[in-house]
Amino acid sequence: MSKDSQMRAAINQKLIETGERERLKELLRAKLVECGWKDQLKAHCKDVIKEKGLEHVTVEDLVTEVTPKGRALVPDSVKKELLHRIRAFLAQHATL
Amino acid sequence: MSPAGCSHVNGYKVDNWKQNLRVIYQCFVWSGTAETRRRKAKSCICHMCGAHLNRLHSCLYCVFFGCFTKKHIHEHAKNKRHNLAIDLLYGGIYCFVCQDYVYDKDMEQIAKEEQRKAWKLQAFETRPSRLYSLESTGIGEKYTTWEPTKRELELLRHNPKRRKITTNCTIGLRGLINLGNTCFMNCIVQALTHTPLLRDFFLSDRHKCEMQSNSCLVCEMSQLFQEFYSGHRSPHIPFRLLHLVWTHARHLAGYEQQDAHEFLIAALDVLHRHCKGDTIHDNGKKANNPNHCNCIIDQIFTGGLQSDVTCQVCHGVSTTIDPFWDISLDLPGSSTPFWPLSPGGDGSTVNGESHLSGSTTLTDCLRRFTRPEHLGSSAKIKCGGCHSYQESTKQLTMKKLPIVACFHLKRFEHSAKLRRKITTYVSFPLELDMTPFMASSKESRMNGQYQQTVDVLNNDNKYSLFAVVNHQGTLESGHYTSFIRQHKDQWFKCDDAIITKASIKDVLDSEGYLLFYHKQFLEYE
Repeated sequence: MSKDSQMRAAINQKLIETGERERLKELLRAKLVECGWKDQLKAHCKDVIKEKGLEHVTVEDLVTEVTPKGRALVPDSVKKELLHRIRAFLAQHATL
Repeated sequence: MSPAGCSHVNGYKVDNWKQNLRVIYQCFVWSGTAETRRRKAKSCICHMCGAHLNRLHSCLYCVFFGCFTKKHIHEHAKNKRHNLAIDLLYGGIYCFVCQDYVYDKDMEQIAKEEQRKAWKLQAFETRPSRLYSLESTGIGEKYTTWEPTKRELELLRHNPKRRKITTNCTIGLRGLINLGNTCFMNCIVQALTHTPLLRDFFLSDRHKCEMQSNSCLVCEMSQLFQEFYSGHRSPHIPFRLLHLVWTHARHLAGYEQQDAHEFLIAALDVLHRHCKGDTIHDNGKKANNPNHCNCIIDQIFTGGLQSDVTCQVCHGVSTTIDPFWDISLDLPGSSTPFWPLSPGGDGSTVNGESHLSGSTTLTDCLRRFTRPEHLGSSAKIKCGGCHSYQESTKQLTMKKLPIVACFHLKRFEHSAKLRRKITTYVSFPLELDMTPFMASSKESRMNGQYQQTVDVLNNDNKYSLFAVVNHQGTLESGHYTSFIRQHKDQWFKCDDAIITKASIKDVLDSEGYLLFYHKQFLEYE
């Protein structure tokens, strides 16, 4: 594993251990609901299901179709805020 | 994808499967305790490539973790013929034979319970970091979406008519017939029926009436909301409301023109008194204390005004906090001295109001309202510190902001010398930040910390305009109209029975008598 992915794994471990990962997930969830992202994607999912037909569509289909749009639609302010929180967390646990 | 799951799941449901499944959820999906979290952090990596991303799944039949995206778990399933795996991110069960996620009722039940357990455990753990002090951390119960009960499904089936709310629909808009100079009541009713929290309270039937007679004003408000949101477009005749108001607020009875502001305060007062049945019961005791009422009126409209009296000799400060439903602001041109404050000073730049050749803004009025005032030698206060009568300064600031802030511009002068209407134009913004007028801001200013940059992450003091009540004419004969906001950016003018579309410019150019602002972000207490 490269040094980069090692670092990633270490940070991830620390985030899980301290419970920070769950808190960040909840914060992100709340922010994405607030800014309407969840509703936008929900509408997109409905469109995909209508297209493929309710009987034939699988979760994989939805994931493939919806992921790129979902990634693109996240507002910059939300990304900024999450980054800010993660940086603050790392600054606190500087032993990494 | 039926709720009964696929048949392959049944192969798993043998022996002690329920307990095994619970352990998997507790240890690897929703880890509630520090110990399980540590274990999860260490062990949740793909057994083939060591990655922790890529939608890790755990085999249900043996201890194997594999990436979903890289198909490592698929390989394992094929080789070992272990057909079921669980998604470690969301807890979904994947069946490799059906090649899709399956939803088995029993397994879903277990998943829900484990998630709730972990959530509760996490919510009560201490949060050491002061960086998170701004966030509300008291989330005891995880939010679950609404699921209808059997009775509700029945009701929905028996009432098949549905109403779709689009961005252009005008539901909630209805004219009100003038019953003889009752425009003062009509415009307040328009403002109240378009207060989002109040609307939600009444449309979800939250009022439980405890009054024996038929004279409950809250019940009548409830009826009013039903009329407004019924979809009828003809104007409503509020004769019952008028009668109840005359019954409960005698000073407003009669066919003369009354003051809309007085009506607002009287209406809120009666509603507050009649809401006794809805107050949240703490440990089974009824909240009869008027200072600690938790009725919907108090929850929405009540704020706390802090008054600090500083003794000029010993500099001791005596503080009182009084509840308020509205803020009455003096205007330039009244007989009370209005000091013209320099334009563009602290506050006005934040709220982006226009300063057309020295016109007054709402923030100017607020700054005047919260400025320290020297109480003259004729009004000495007994100081608790020096135990004598001394000159002092008094300053008002906002201790607690209400969810809906109502500003009353004091246009009607009833002094001993004269009775007149002050028609000075006061410009008011669409979005208002109350931070400069908070008691906490004053404290930080006094401690030498100047809040130069607006804290983007602290949204608690930001407000949006949603209703404006205007008075045209003179003190003797005049007419009230109102502007109200629908759907975030559409404004309508309500002139008794006539509702017309209005532009934002119309609203902001109007004189303004009562201004209703709504908090932009609502936090849990």
